[in-house]
Amino acid sequence: MKRFLLAAAVLFFVGTNALAQEEQVTIVVATGAVGQELELTRAAAQRYMEQHPNVTVDVIETPDLSNDRLGVYLQVFEAQSPDIDVMQIDVIWPGDLAEHLVDLYEYGAEEVVDQHFPAIVENNTVDGRLVGIPWFTDSGLLYYRTDLLEKYGYDAPPTTWDELEEMAQTIQDGERAEGNPDFWGFVWQGNSYEGLTCDALEWIASNGGGTIISPDGQVTIDNPAAVEAVERAAGWVGTISPDGVTSFGEEDARNMFQAGNAAFMRNWPYAYSLGNAEDSAIAGKFDVAPLPAGASGNGAGTLGGWQLAVSRYSEHPDIAADVALYLASPEEQKIRAVEGSFLPTVMSLYEDPEVLEAAPFFGRLYDVLINGVARPSTVAAPNYAQVSQAFYTAVHDVLTGASTAEDALALASLDIQDITGLEAGQP
Amino acid sequence: MLTPPRTATARKRGPSRLARAEARTAWLLLLPTFVILAVIAFYPFSRVVTSSFTNARFASANAETRYVGLANYRALLSMTIRELPRVVDDDGQPVLRDGEPQYESWVRVLPREPLRYRAVFEFSLLGRRYVVGAVTAPFVRAIWDTSVFTVIAVFLETVLGMVIALALNTEFRGRGLMRAAMLVPWAVITAVSARIWEWMLQPTRAGLFNALGSYLGISDGRTDFFGNLTLQLPSMIAMDVWKTTPFMALLLLAGLSTIPSELYEAAEVDGASRLRQFFTITLPLLRPTLAVALVFRTLDSLRVFDIFQVVLGNRRFSMASYTQDLLISQRDMGTSSAASVVIFVIIAIFAVLYIRMLGQRSLE
Repeated sequence: MKRFLLAAAVLFFVGTNALAQEEQVTIVVATGAVGQELELTRAAAQRYMEQHPNVTVDVIETPDLSNDRLGVYLQVFEAQSPDIDVMQIDVIWPGDLAEHLVDLYEYGAEEVVDQHFPAIVENNTVDGRLVGIPWFTDSGLLYYRTDLLEKYGYDAPPTTWDELEEMAQTIQDGERAEGNPDFWGFVWQGNSYEGLTCDALEWIASNGGGTIISPDGQVTIDNPAAVEAVERAAGWVGTISPDGVTSFGEEDARNMFQAGNAAFMRNWPYAYSLGNAEDSAIAGKFDVAPLPAGASGNGAGTLGGWQLAVSRYSEHPDIAADVALYLASPEEQKIRAVEGSFLPTVMSLYEDPEVLEAAPFFGRLYDVLINGVARPSTVAAPNYAQVSQAFYTAVHDVLTGASTAEDALALASLDIQDITGLEAGQP
Repeated sequence: MLTPPRTATARKRGPSRLARAEARTAWLLLLPTFVILAVIAFYPFSRVVTSSFTNARFASANAETRYVGLANYRALLSMTIRELPRVVDDDGQPVLRDGEPQYESWVRVLPREPLRYRAVFEFSLLGRRYVVGAVTAPFVRAIWDTSVFTVIAVFLETVLGMVIALALNTEFRGRGLMRAAMLVPWAVITAVSARIWEWMLQPTRAGLFNALGSYLGISDGRTDFFGNLTLQLPSMIAMDVWKTTPFMALLLLAGLSTIPSELYEAAEVDGASRLRQFFTITLPLLRPTLAVALVFRTLDSLRVFDIFQVVLGNRRFSMASYTQDLLISQRDMGTSSAASVVIFVIIAIFAVLYIRMLGQRSLE
């Protein structure tokens, strides 16, 4: 239903603008609306329109959950519809969607591509075609309440999951005893969707359980370290994490943390500037750290990030590509970094004093990004979406108690072997 | 309906010229309907049937589409029942935990070749434990869930709708206002009302029901209505009942208003109680209306999509929302089409059964 509403909204915007300004070119940009994304993109579109009076840039919002967003794009692609010109695509999609996207190298991307992290550019290059220009990058982070850690006598954020469990329990018990029955220790993303793949991959990778499919193409998810990691997470539900965490997405976790009702949160960098906004109950009372480590001794943050792609079915691919390149330019990425704490993909911005002043933790993120764990989207292409679904469904079954971790991961391993045709192996 | 009446005498003499002309006009009038049906119903449906025999991928013009025969249907409908052996220790004695025998996991019991089965549910019978397996377990579970949802929701809607209709059928001040107010839930777009309910049923005290429950001391204020496997279906049923009871009430109210009041006056004179009047006058005369309302609501419930999709997403499926998941998330257009055909057949069976059971007498 959400999709129908969106399609209707798209038609409405396209329709009204076509009537109003006939010689105008309208470019529809479909972006996320998580946190303040939409406002930032609208402001950027406004700046572009001031420089290009003959272009109208319509920014439309897409569903918050990345699975739903993919659904919208696939429907537009299946119909080969020109309704959306520029779209924000996830770091895991270039392989699956390449056939529907233009090669940005044909529209002047060579001149700017060297400014961006080479690994992301490589991720977005399919058969030598640049199908998306990097817009912002992401890594899973641990948010923690500095004031509460101090209050309960901790001098540093947890570095292992054991420490996190212990601290979360202590703070939760203490805060509840002081009269906040809605307080929880740790919030994260437990709904059955791509976000759970990211969270679970962090638990498993940090426990030495591998990355679902190893880079050399073996399905490694069925192993004792992974089982242990998922069992541990299932133990959080109802103890240090709310029972409802199994239906949480990014925004559900953020709302709870930002209302002052959680000690720890796993989330993406975008939550930083929102947490420090004026209306936030926790402004100035929290910080970020790398995610805790399990048996492997290293913490792991799942790498995310979004790109701007131009639809092959756009009626003005040249102008659409220009809009995409403008939105991803260093100037615009800097504004997004300062105002929205979105991690730039332009390397030089990590040394920009204004950026570092607005988001001091960016400087520390180098290690997090280096230790980051990538989802197996390249090795599973073009079937990554199905692989991920098999994985997060299995993990969700364990979280809700519908299955044991052993059974669920054994089954997920078989499913993923079926989907990809790869052999099973050990991480 | 539009064909002229054929009495025995008329048939003997053959239809009159006038009757033939009327029949011709009737066909002409029906022709546009058939054309429209062919374009908007038969053509798309035949496309669905065709693609249900292929391995077509959604939004993927490059992938080669092959004919796969009945493979999609086999994957959707293959089911089996296996007994789960007990877990035994090295001496061959059953392992007990908390006094209960332990059973092997179905993962090791259900067949893997040539198609892999997974558990739909387990049950115990005569001291043995069994597992029902299916190749596409989520689809079988979706069929089961949708059927349970339909039976309970339609039953509640009918009973509540009847109560409301009877109440609104009596004369009282503000009846017009009540009738209008009653229709509000029905008028709200389902996606919107699903979102409203999603907020009210939030798993924390931010949600209305949890706030109320903890205020009244009957819950701890953290009931997860949509995450808890046993509360998911009841929550969906509550949402559907809230939304569609007004529709039921409206239909029944229309039926009630056709019953002549003289019948009740006569019954009153004969000294029949209100209850007696309901069962001997109201219910029999309402039967045709009730039949139509039940058919409408049942077929609608079997196709339920929006509330499952908006609220439960990938967590639990109705038949329709699983079909959508196959198409969008898994991009498996072939299996998705086959699932649509299966749903069509299921709904058709329901429709025929209904018309057999309720229709024949009352719809004539």
